[in-house]
Amino acid sequence: METRMTMWDSFSKRGLSRRTFLKTCTALTAMMGLPLTDRKKVVEAATKQPLPVVVWLHGHECTGCDEAFIRSQSPLASDLVLNMISLEYSDTLAAAAGEPFEKHLETVIKKYDGKFILAVEGGVPLADQGISCMVGGKPFVDVLKEVAKHAAAIIEYGSCAAWGGVQAAKPNPTGSVSVSKVISGKPIIKVPGCPPIPEVMTGVVMHLALFGQIPPLDAQGRPKQFYGNRIHDTCYRRSFFDAGMFAERFDDAGSKAGWCLYKLGCRGPEAYNACGNLRWWNGLSYPIQSGSPCFACGSDGFWDNGPFHERLPNVVLPNTLTNADKIGAGLTVAAMAGVTVHAVISSVQKARHAKNESEHDEE
Amino acid sequence: MKNKRVDGIYIFSPFLRLFHWIMAAAVLMLFLTGRYIANPFFHGSIGVDPTISVGNLMSMETIRFWHFFWAYVLVASFILRIYGWVMYKGDRLLPKFWTKLYWTGLSEVLQHYLFLKSDHQPYLRNSLARTTYLIWYIVTFVLMATGFAMYGMINPASWTAKFFSPVISLLGNEYNVHVVHNYAAWFFPLFLTFHTYFAYRSDMMHGDGEISSIFSGIKYLPGKPADAEDLK
Repeated sequence: METRMTMWDSFSKRGLSRRTFLKTCTALTAMMGLPLTDRKKVVEAATKQPLPVVVWLHGHECTGCDEAFIRSQSPLASDLVLNMISLEYSDTLAAAAGEPFEKHLETVIKKYDGKFILAVEGGVPLADQGISCMVGGKPFVDVLKEVAKHAAAIIEYGSCAAWGGVQAAKPNPTGSVSVSKVISGKPIIKVPGCPPIPEVMTGVVMHLALFGQIPPLDAQGRPKQFYGNRIHDTCYRRSFFDAGMFAERFDDAGSKAGWCLYKLGCRGPEAYNACGNLRWWNGLSYPIQSGSPCFACGSDGFWDNGPFHERLPNVVLPNTLTNADKIGAGLTVAAMAGVTVHAVISSVQKARHAKNESEHDEE
Repeated sequence: MKNKRVDGIYIFSPFLRLFHWIMAAAVLMLFLTGRYIANPFFHGSIGVDPTISVGNLMSMETIRFWHFFWAYVLVASFILRIYGWVMYKGDRLLPKFWTKLYWTGLSEVLQHYLFLKSDHQPYLRNSLARTTYLIWYIVTFVLMATGFAMYGMINPASWTAKFFSPVISLLGNEYNVHVVHNYAAWFFPLFLTFHTYFAYRSDMMHGDGEISSIFSGIKYLPGKPADAEDLK
């Protein structure tokens, strides 16, 4: 059996210094959300552990997650793909294509049976035997089941793989579901987002690769170190929320002054992600910083909670759109009017009843 | 009208009566503060420093604090409710769907409220009221569960978050928890309208001391109540 390179081997082969290697390990430690004191463990693992074999499948999706991933800044996506993991199969990043490439997938999953990490991007359409998404002439669901059988662990990359995705929006014509609805009996890590933050994916892959175990997960199966906090609780605009200072429209003074976007439908109070800490493109910005309310792209079913720029979802009644507050206030007013009328009739009834009784008594 | 002699019946324990008023205050405060949290309809203006959130009486920060404060008060007040429930029969007037009396009573009271019947026989608590109060408790528990589910997630590693996490899983995602909490809260003004009206009406129509019983625990019913068994 061939021996696979470790990360250190890969670095020295490329003539990179030990110093660079150690710097990378330090960056990785931070990426994985570990304390700096764990850097030793990371260096040790990166020196001894062979590079992880990663198979990257693409299903029912828009490839936006890939687009985000190749913009991973620290470490650079190219570094990750070429130096830190052994990416054996990825439809979109591979130079090869066609039958030989599909043949390679078959070879890889047998060669590294039970050892490789399977990253899945995209939902799994189940309607009509899965014909809504075909990969290499086969329904994606079949490819996924076959490859997953041989995988050590599965990463659901993006909201499509994690929850079904935008195509699972009502009425979900393709019957799109998450990977975990189709695959069982394998450790599954959810890395949701539309797209997820590239550095989060890097962190999760490296955690799996270096420590050979899945990172601590929350109740929904997401890595705690990246999905452990509400966007709302890490938001730099939070002081405006606490002070009750809200942008009411996208073009008002509050919006210009950078006030809280709560009233513009920000889903920060319900969203869990690392945007507030890591931000995007090397910490450049994230939606809220750019003045756009968060719409909880990492949450299950976010696509059905429209409209995104309203605090409450609309309720469709015949010929009108309304929401909980309007319905509640309407019912309360109606109830008050109702009991007032009822009170008037009751007093008439009481008068009549009394009259009847007194007539009855006289007889 | 004849002057009937009526005997007072002692029904509600002091624990239930105290609970009633604490709950009334808590729920009113929760609804009002909750309205602001769901839709902050007044707010700071240009030139106001965001540090007003600290200690300012009407800032979102303070209003949220009072919301959580009253939520804990409401939960704590259930200690009284449960103690009364265990110790006193008069605190246990829940709908007994399995008895014939429940259904005949429900029909009779409904007919009376729809003006089809000029009067109804006396009850300790009629079937319609019993049912409404049960719904009230169910809605209150829904509000508590969804409320604490959201509150706990401030720290997802906390005991509260773990305990209430099934609520979030059940509703699909946390946004739906907010929506359910918001809808359920609107039950309160509806309930308040009907509850105060019918309590007042009962006092006016039957002179049964419904209003004073909130304080004294005693009702003055014109005759033996149909559900008198519930006190034995």
